[in-house]
Amino acid sequence: MAKMVVFCGSDEPQKAFPPFMLGGGALAMDMDLVLFFTMNGLNIVKKGGAEKITLAGAAKTLPGFIEMAINGGAKLIACSAAFPIVNCKEEDLIEGVECGGVATFVEEAADADVVLTF
Amino acid sequence: MMSSDELAQLTPDKEIDARGVACPGPLLEAKRGITSVPMGGVMVVMSSDASTVADLPRWAAKMNHEYLGTVEDAGFWRLFVKRGK
Repeated sequence: MAKMVVFCGSDEPQKAFPPFMLGGGALAMDMDLVLFFTMNGLNIVKKGGAEKITLAGAAKTLPGFIEMAINGGAKLIACSAAFPIVNCKEEDLIEGVECGGVATFVEEAADADVVLTF
Repeated sequence: MMSSDELAQLTPDKEIDARGVACPGPLLEAKRGITSVPMGGVMVVMSSDASTVADLPRWAAKMNHEYLGTVEDAGFWRLFVKRGK
């Protein structure tokens, strides 16, 4: 099965939403989807974080997109290497997100057909 | 591809109303909906999102379904897909 990996490194709305919009397309086309959250992108998967990131005109709210991704079978990985930089702990993360380091990203990216960076 | 007249005469096995839903919603609804269409049956997706007109034929090709055509209605489109797998 084809696979798409998206590097989510920002909590700016115009960078935080596209991984889920494009990711939704990938899921609709039966691709495997991996979303890798690091640096300020970790705010997307922190408890209460997604609610604060809003984008007028988007198809869903960010929590709605996260739910869509998880229900669609996407793998959400929080980069533990960035935890001390943005003051995040594993228990701060929403349910359904796993932790991984740089090797996790490299391994996922190395056998992906598409890798996107936001 | 079928003509508008031919499409209008089809009786779809499944109708998905994705009007008012923005991209990628209609594709996800199509993916969910096609599973309840019998093999060789027809699904019609109603969408008011212009990107669906370009995306649904690509989705159908990728998923091995047959895209039959699009009919424009008042402020939305009806896109016909025949289940292929």
